[in-house]
Amino acid sequence: MLLDATSVTKELVEHILPEQGVPSLRIGLQKMESVLNYYINKAEEGLPVVGYHFSFPAEFLKCFDCVPVCIEGTSYFLATFLEGGSEKYYDMMHSYGHPFHTCTSQKGTMGMTLDDLFKFDSLISPTAPFDCTIASYPFFKFEKKFPLVLIDMPFLQKEKSLQYYADQLKAGIIKLGKIIGQEPDYNKLKEAIEIENQVLMLKLEIFEMIKSKPSPISNLYNAISAGLTMFTAGTPENLSFHQEMLKVVKKRYKNKEHHGKEEKLRSIWPYMITFFSIDLMEWLDWELGLSVLFDIFNYNFYDPINTKSDLDLMFYGMSKKSMGLPMVRQSTEFFGPFIEYCINFAKDYSADCFIYTQSIACKQFGSVPQLLREALKEEVGIPMLLIEFDAGDARMTSLKSFKEKIIMFTQTLS
Amino acid sequence: MNSYIENWQKNGNKVVGYYCTYIPEELLFAADLLPFRIRATGNKDTELGDIYMVRFTCSFVRATLDMALKGIYDFLDGFLVCNSCDHSRRMFELFDLKVFNRENFKKNVERFYLALPHVITNEGFEWYKKEIEELKEELEHKFNIKEISETKLKHSIQIYNENRRLLRQIHNLRTQANPKLTGTEVLQINMANSSIPKDIANEHLKMIIEILNERENIDITNKKRIILVGSVVDNNDFTELIENSGAFIASDVLCFGTRNFTDDVDLKIGESPLESISRRLYYRLSCPRMMDDHQRRLDFLKEEIKRAKIEGVVLQRINNCDLHGCDNMLFTHELKDLDIPVLNMDREFYQADTNRLQTRIEAFLEMI
Repeated sequence: MLLDATSVTKELVEHILPEQGVPSLRIGLQKMESVLNYYINKAEEGLPVVGYHFSFPAEFLKCFDCVPVCIEGTSYFLATFLEGGSEKYYDMMHSYGHPFHTCTSQKGTMGMTLDDLFKFDSLISPTAPFDCTIASYPFFKFEKKFPLVLIDMPFLQKEKSLQYYADQLKAGIIKLGKIIGQEPDYNKLKEAIEIENQVLMLKLEIFEMIKSKPSPISNLYNAISAGLTMFTAGTPENLSFHQEMLKVVKKRYKNKEHHGKEEKLRSIWPYMITFFSIDLMEWLDWELGLSVLFDIFNYNFYDPINTKSDLDLMFYGMSKKSMGLPMVRQSTEFFGPFIEYCINFAKDYSADCFIYTQSIACKQFGSVPQLLREALKEEVGIPMLLIEFDAGDARMTSLKSFKEKIIMFTQTLS
Repeated sequence: MNSYIENWQKNGNKVVGYYCTYIPEELLFAADLLPFRIRATGNKDTELGDIYMVRFTCSFVRATLDMALKGIYDFLDGFLVCNSCDHSRRMFELFDLKVFNRENFKKNVERFYLALPHVITNEGFEWYKKEIEELKEELEHKFNIKEISETKLKHSIQIYNENRRLLRQIHNLRTQANPKLTGTEVLQINMANSSIPKDIANEHLKMIIEILNERENIDITNKKRIILVGSVVDNNDFTELIENSGAFIASDVLCFGTRNFTDDVDLKIGESPLESISRRLYYRLSCPRMMDDHQRRLDFLKEEIKRAKIEGVVLQRINNCDLHGCDNMLFTHELKDLDIPVLNMDREFYQADTNRLQTRIEAFLEMI
């Protein structure tokens, strides 16, 4: 299903869009298709299928010969590219008794397991970043009887938390290996981590150029980059995607080109974008001239992992990366730092406004919008639009409603 | 503020507010601090809370924030939050920025945070124990206490174990075949118990037990014996609605109920009192915030169903409570497989859509 959605969309993109149109989508789909084909072949060879949470970096699974499936990525990838999205599977879970207010990124894949589309040999998940993970994953263990490896992620960004989580990660990987009958190959893990170290540098370079006006990325780049990283981290495809994107961005930066006709406004989305319709991003670029500089999945707070020293130090670096991942970082500390770096982002990236999308599932962020709005107004003098929605289900806040809210908001800015 | 708190503070003692039963009450009490469990009993409004919390959050927590913003919790001298759930854990920041920093509120309220693991493992226990040790030092430092001694901790444990024993005794008076009190009355006792010093509470509980023992059995003819499970219930309106619909709440799995008094602190030889307190809290009957402990919760529920001769299970969650919502989903299927009648419902904290709830409860009771 994932491969079909990717291939069909890729065909459409290649045949309908002009050759230079939306390079992030074009290149991203090529890479995604290549990785999916590889894993589908591996699954046919009988390699174990391992489901993982998006806050467990995909490259960490490279120490095993397995077929990794990102639970959250799968739901939202299909919500984006499949006609009708993942709605059928959300509804199956609702009928099963799953609450309407949990995360659709998990609910979709859960529904697919009810429909026996997936049979996992094991799953691995941190106990983060929010209640929906804590609440939803037991379904896989207690209802579907899939072995579930939990890695306990502590609250608060402290030194002792990093060490605790490093130990948890190591133990978790060993436990997973026992379940699927494999020893972790740490050399392979190092190679995958080194790929991601390079990707991080490329992303930071791109990020630096986003500070300039007009923004040299398309709004869609954010979604594609995040999606690719979620599914293909640790693969050469993820590296080459970011290398190719860097070339595109450098060229635009040099020529002061904007992806749309003209950049009229610059926005930061401190939380998520819509996954049920990423064409909203294109519409914003072209119709409103509104740049989405980045969303939560695209700003990073971790250092490259040291792979040259001993294993313990590498796991410490892996812990640091994991606890600095998008959404995880903000969920394992108080709101103070989040508000502070939003203010700094607004200044550094010359943002005209913030658009805060409050997802129904993310209760851990349900208390911050008003605090952030007040801080942005006071410290930077820019407004924030709040839209309540479900990132993977258009039935809660439709695309039309989204567009209308944003049009009205931007009218107050110009 | 009740008169017990008034007297407590008149004597120069401090009160520390908290949300969740995962905090070490015994430690606070040993430091002459009164642990006060924050509730929103009777509040039907979330107007001020809604300014800072979006509508997808828990209406119970919003109602407590609403009360705090209105100054109802201004009597607190300290505030201790732990990462129980995504709704209550963020009260640390909101109280910090918006409640204790209100205009004209000059009092210095000390803030504390306790980070709980989400799984039950040896490493998790070591983490939690260390958190509680650090909390002890922080309490001593911030409240200028020379030392919270082992003797005081042991005395506090004794009082709290006695308190839990008495609550269990009262609980047994309702689970028995001819109950002495209703589920609503049990809830009232548990709530009052959470808001007063436990040494005084124990004296009152003993008196209540004496009165109950002499009291006539309550009439539960034609009533169905149910067990109430799920999100926090600190509102009589809700339990009354259930009991007025033809049910008798013969038992519960709630944090104002069995979850709070089932286990005692076991003072082990060679173990410090603080470690024993940590052990009880960490390994006790969990709430769904503990991610891998569903089986134990199910086993307890099944035992309680047998023990209290339960005819039907009412699972409930406050809207937007993911933790209880998903745990209840699993219970629903597991109990149905055992042919135990189950009602799984959602509600708001304040008594809204009463007719809908009543209809569902009555229909369920008729089905049993």
